[in-house]
Amino acid sequence: MADTKEMKAVLFGPVLANNPIALQVLGICSALAVTSSLKNALIMSIALTLVTAFSSFFISLIRNQIPSSVRIIVQMTIIASLVIVVDQVLQAFSYATAKELSVFVGLIITNCIVMGRAEAYAMKSPPVMSFLDGIGNGLGYSVVLLTVGFIRELFGKGTLFGVDIIPLVQDGGWYQPMGLLILPPSAFFIIGLFIWVLRTYKKDQVEAKA
Amino acid sequence: MSSKNESIGKTLAVVVALCLVCAIIVSFASVQLRPLQQANKTQDIQKNILAAAEIENSGSVSDTFNAKIESRVVDMNTGDFVKDVDPTSFDFEQTKFDPKRSFALKDKGIKDTAGIQRMTKNSPVYISKKADGSTDAIILPIQGYGLWGIMYGFLALESDGETVKNIIFYKHQETPGLGGEIQNPQWTSKWEGKELPIDVVKGNASGNEHKVDGISGATLTSNGVEHTVDFWTGKNGFGPFLAKVRKGALN
Repeated sequence: MADTKEMKAVLFGPVLANNPIALQVLGICSALAVTSSLKNALIMSIALTLVTAFSSFFISLIRNQIPSSVRIIVQMTIIASLVIVVDQVLQAFSYATAKELSVFVGLIITNCIVMGRAEAYAMKSPPVMSFLDGIGNGLGYSVVLLTVGFIRELFGKGTLFGVDIIPLVQDGGWYQPMGLLILPPSAFFIIGLFIWVLRTYKKDQVEAKA
Repeated sequence: MSSKNESIGKTLAVVVALCLVCAIIVSFASVQLRPLQQANKTQDIQKNILAAAEIENSGSVSDTFNAKIESRVVDMNTGDFVKDVDPTSFDFEQTKFDPKRSFALKDKGIKDTAGIQRMTKNSPVYISKKADGSTDAIILPIQGYGLWGIMYGFLALESDGETVKNIIFYKHQETPGLGGEIQNPQWTSKWEGKELPIDVVKGNASGNEHKVDGISGATLTSNGVEHTVDFWTGKNGFGPFLAKVRKGALN
């Protein structure tokens, strides 16, 4: 069993130091699509974190039995099954959100973060560490999603979690919402700025000029 | 990953075993959760019908729905009520693809102005009652193509079958912030009190009972809404039924 220090590194490393979206630039698609409201971003974050953690766990559990010729198919089968289960649970317990997110929950299957962790980490590491690694990367994804979701919902709609924060002009307030922020491309700008800030703060993430 | 894993037999065994385990987990989740999902779906529709009828929800959605709303099924062709069809057997997204219960518009030579391609032979209508038992509103399920996809909604008419009480869309794929504003109460409230037939126009529609302001930046969605309402209140939609309502069929 690995010591606590290593566990910590695996769990919290991906949050800022090795963020899957900001440094590895994986999983951008869903980060654009679901972040127009904070609630959707939160549910998506939880769903992805759980899928990454459990898929890493199960893949790691049978890693010594997986023939390497079919390992990607095996990983996909496990991930796909977990995603279907998550989708079914959402439909049963959070119907309104499931309706909005349905397509994107399905697309977790193709989210590079999940595959990436399975292939790069879980295939070589013991189950508990793989599970923590999945949680850690899920957290890294969540940090970006929630930041983007916060900015987009607050300045695009004047609300947070659907609760009015800034009074809008159309309801008699003073704030003219930025329509651009509601549309997916705005997430590109916000993620770009996020990466800029992160790399200013952590200089080692800046790629060397070719 | 030792080489002993690479034999054909081992590969097949691992894949088959894994598929079996995954299949069992997925089917178990699906079967166990289905009643909850079905209940959610029904409740979602009922909630939207209540919202269209502008009925406050006291207690559970299904209790309020059963107490305040009468569900009937209408023959689209004649406008008469059909007795032997269960109004809860309709799925507004699926039933129109059931060949026994639906038809393609082009087979009957109907102009598909709402962009729906197929429609059901019968359709449920929902009638909300006042405390004294008289009709408060008639809620018609409507659907039509907007800019990106089919918009599903309900149109509530006053008991005269002529005046709009409310219009809501509960499922659509329109652009958030633009066409998505069809869900905004600020916009739907503009429909209240308007008389059929209704034009969705650009510019100032206030004062004209047959005109509603379109959504700025969403002309195609606005057109879609206009065509949808036209279609469903017209002769190929609920027209025959509404004609009977206007003659007092509900009293």
